[in-house]
Amino acid sequence: MTNQNCGQAAITLLERYGVDTVFGMPGVHTLEFYRGLVASKIRHIAVRHEQGAGFMADGYARASGRPGVCILISGPGLTNAATPIGQAYSDSIPMLILSSVNATEDLGKGRGRLHEITSQQTVIAPLTAFSRTVYKAEDLPAAYADAYRIFEAGRPRPVHVEVPLDVLAGPAPALADRPPSVLPLMPDGSLVEEACALISKARRPVIVAGGGIIDHGPALTALAEQIGAPVIPTIAAKGAMSNRHPLCVDATLSLPQTQAFLRSADLVIAVGTELGGEADCWIDRLPIEGKLIRIDIDAAALTRDYPPDVAIHADGGATLAALAQSVGSSRSQIGAVDVARLRAEIRNSLPSLQRKHMLILEALREALPRDGIVATDMTQLAYSGSYHFPCEQPRCWFHPVGYGTLGYGLPAAIGAQLAQPHRATVAIVGDGGLLFTVQELATAVELGLPVAVVLWNNNALGQIAEGMKERGITEIGVRPRNPDFIKLAEAFGCRTAQPSSIAAFKAALESAFKADRPTLIEMREDAVFLGG
Amino acid sequence: MRTVGMYLAELLEAYGVEVIFGIPGVHTVELYRGLPNTKIRHVTPRHEQGAGFMADGYARVSGRPGVCFIITGPGMTNIATAMAQAYADSVPMLVISAVNALGQIGSGEGWLHELQDQRQLIKQVSAFSHTVMTPAELPRVMARAFALFAGSRPRPVHIELPLDIITAPADKLPPIRAIVPPSPPAASPSALQEAANWLNIAKAPVLLLGGGAQDAGSFVRAIAEKLDAPTVMSVNGRGLLPPRHPLAVPCSPSMPPTMKLIEGADVILAIGTEFGSTDYDWFEQGGAKFNGKTIRIDIDAQQVVRSRQPDLPIVADASEASSALVPLLSSAKRDGAARAAAARDAVLADLSRTYRACLHLMETVRDALPGAVLVGDSAQPVYAGCICYPSAAPRSWFCSATGYGTLGYALPAAIGAQLAAADRPVVCLIGDGGLQFTIAELASAREAGTPVIVLLWNNNGYGEIKTYMVSRQIHPIGVDIFTPDFQVLAKGFGCEAVTLKKPSDLPGLLREAAKRKTATIIEIEENDYVANYEG
Repeated sequence: MTNQNCGQAAITLLERYGVDTVFGMPGVHTLEFYRGLVASKIRHIAVRHEQGAGFMADGYARASGRPGVCILISGPGLTNAATPIGQAYSDSIPMLILSSVNATEDLGKGRGRLHEITSQQTVIAPLTAFSRTVYKAEDLPAAYADAYRIFEAGRPRPVHVEVPLDVLAGPAPALADRPPSVLPLMPDGSLVEEACALISKARRPVIVAGGGIIDHGPALTALAEQIGAPVIPTIAAKGAMSNRHPLCVDATLSLPQTQAFLRSADLVIAVGTELGGEADCWIDRLPIEGKLIRIDIDAAALTRDYPPDVAIHADGGATLAALAQSVGSSRSQIGAVDVARLRAEIRNSLPSLQRKHMLILEALREALPRDGIVATDMTQLAYSGSYHFPCEQPRCWFHPVGYGTLGYGLPAAIGAQLAQPHRATVAIVGDGGLLFTVQELATAVELGLPVAVVLWNNNALGQIAEGMKERGITEIGVRPRNPDFIKLAEAFGCRTAQPSSIAAFKAALESAFKADRPTLIEMREDAVFLGG
Repeated sequence: MRTVGMYLAELLEAYGVEVIFGIPGVHTVELYRGLPNTKIRHVTPRHEQGAGFMADGYARVSGRPGVCFIITGPGMTNIATAMAQAYADSVPMLVISAVNALGQIGSGEGWLHELQDQRQLIKQVSAFSHTVMTPAELPRVMARAFALFAGSRPRPVHIELPLDIITAPADKLPPIRAIVPPSPPAASPSALQEAANWLNIAKAPVLLLGGGAQDAGSFVRAIAEKLDAPTVMSVNGRGLLPPRHPLAVPCSPSMPPTMKLIEGADVILAIGTEFGSTDYDWFEQGGAKFNGKTIRIDIDAQQVVRSRQPDLPIVADASEASSALVPLLSSAKRDGAARAAAARDAVLADLSRTYRACLHLMETVRDALPGAVLVGDSAQPVYAGCICYPSAAPRSWFCSATGYGTLGYALPAAIGAQLAAADRPVVCLIGDGGLQFTIAELASAREAGTPVIVLLWNNNGYGEIKTYMVSRQIHPIGVDIFTPDFQVLAKGFGCEAVTLKKPSDLPGLLREAAKRKTATIIEIEENDYVANYEG
């Protein structure tokens, strides 16, 4: 141990925190981390672009609940991953980014060093919970400890730890054991009483559940049943409460019917959600007109935009459990019947393109085991799925909600499959989005991952083309000339399928899940069997 | 109603912008409303990183800023790497983006594409970054951007427009008008006279030229010839003296023979070079010792004293200063050709067979396709080129191995270069690892009708890093990666692809590719080429 350098110690320390997989691409600046990796049990996943590393770490984190870890070179390695780090920030995904940075004596001097940037930290800091430079090797263990405190008990977000080249190659710090885990923040008793008082008076209580309760489905379901409150999950909370539960609304906050339903509530309990602007609901403001109880682990999120009547700064799961314990009888007059009516209303008014989407999504649901994972990109098929694809388990549907990036789906599916090797994994991507990160097909082939890549091909940036048309803008740059995706996938060594019926689509999925490599399944929006 | 977005398109046209690179998104559609009424061409990349690198290649060949339209958030973080490369290599670029509406910026309310503070990120990779808070600012900030491109160290400029400003009425804005570009700063006559006094009595002067001197070719050549001074050109200064010029030292100042030449100089005249370590100290041993007096001419007052503090700093544009210096110099023989040849020959003699093969490859391109632009990635042949490729002319050879040192640059930059130089062959020199970074831009090349020639140096992995690992006694990990079938891949993108069978076939394949209307990949197995080339 005494012969280790700081780079090797950084890896040993990752092992102590239970990290089993890291994503990255070695470069001149990160070699000393790799010296440590060789001797470690941690699996290194070599990507084709650091953007892929970031999205894979995100998919890994969403699928496992543990932080995704990347090792990135100074400068371009880090700026290449900026978009996935931004995505993880906006969706509260735990991620640990270890990077190099130029030597201590070179920082900020504008000397034109390789991979130099005016201030790497200034670029990355706004995308993270915190960004720390390890100026002395002794600071390294504390940086990890602080990061894991956030992952365990705070609002999980990316943390960036950068080590200057001279520190990285210098002697290792003394490594203590991993500090004990931090308990989640418990709710204040008197606030719980206040909240219970509001709940017991409510006739039409509704719960809006966000990604913060993804692992607290049982507590959520128990409270909802106890107080007779329908639950509207956000996209990030899909599956925490089974979509088949009679009190569970689809993740449809962006639809007018669900907004009207929300407006009729005399009490809204918003838990673990930022009540995000257009990212989840596509309108400036959700119609919350009754009382509002907000529960969030992030104090700043408690009062943002929607001033609450009761604000509880605590862990969502712990608070839901405390509420269930303290709340008395319910006077709720809404329930399963209202939810069923709302669902029917939504289903009956779907526009034709979305009906087409539903044909595919229903087939996917039938072919995909209950615990199957779907990582989706920014594409119209995925938007429909985000609302309507039923999930019975949490951590099964991933969508880049807030930041809204293209190119997320494929690498996120790869990361998810690595975290859950025995669960069927699907990527839903559009033709525009797939090209953003298509090279990661090579990574999936190299790893022999049976990811099913469902390509929704409408030969366009469809959403944007519609937007231009609606606004009377001449279409520019939205009808790109597409490659032959089948040839492309074959060149990467993938299996391919172009189903000509729904049955063939299901068969293609089922054989994809059993394969020894990824399968690209191309679905054309204008296919005859989808109604042309 | 004419909106600010429409005004912007007309304003850019007035500034002579010919091409805009971008992927339209929900946040930028209103920037596109006015575009069809202009003569500006729009090119759609497949990733915003491609947009940035295309703009970079366009700018390096044309000398004019490359312009991009980029969405809020992910579009900006996607283009960050490309802006940083342009920042490090002083390339003019104008990135116009959307940002969330006034009242939403910085709220943390979870708006689509929201960042805590977009400008905080981007100003680290820009000369300046500006948020247009009121429509009236737009023509003013645009004037500032183009003044910077014309009159100071060129670097990316970022202008962001909140969503509600893009759609605001432009009726109170002044008529469309481009400012007269300011002339770049000239040198102080007394400082130049002092420089001339030193140089005229020097016994062994040496010229060090960087990318800042790119457009001062005839003047720096006259200076070199009058002084009979060997002229060392950094990667971005290559070609300022043509390949067979007796004073040309198109060799990296990191190489020991070049260092020896510099160390023997009694007066060093450095023009438009930042003395960055990727040129001057690649091996991180401290670089050449400057034993003589140093005169530095740089347009950037901070840069003129950075890294190497000169005895005589002169803040001025390279062309202005050089043209004014020429008449102050007296001609004298100083054994320049012999000193230059000694350095040049020794650098070549020290090259490994692999690097010689790489150099042979580049010279084959230069000689088979006269006037070609050669765009390099970070790849083995490109490193050889950085060491000693004698480019035929300035703005004809550049790469991303200098400065920021990114992978995936060369293909999109070549597409941008081709758009700026439709009548010249453009050749992209890239490794298999680098090509996978931005491979999707083959679709853009096909769509834009840019027949770039991709020389793919295939060593089935990250060869350069593997060598590094082995040299540091680290067991190679993550470098022997699975490589796709590039032949099928290229055809899937609608491009041509061929495999080089023997090195002597290359000129013919290049000439055939240059006649095509589509892009061509010429795949070269590193081991085959190194074993079989004759040079």
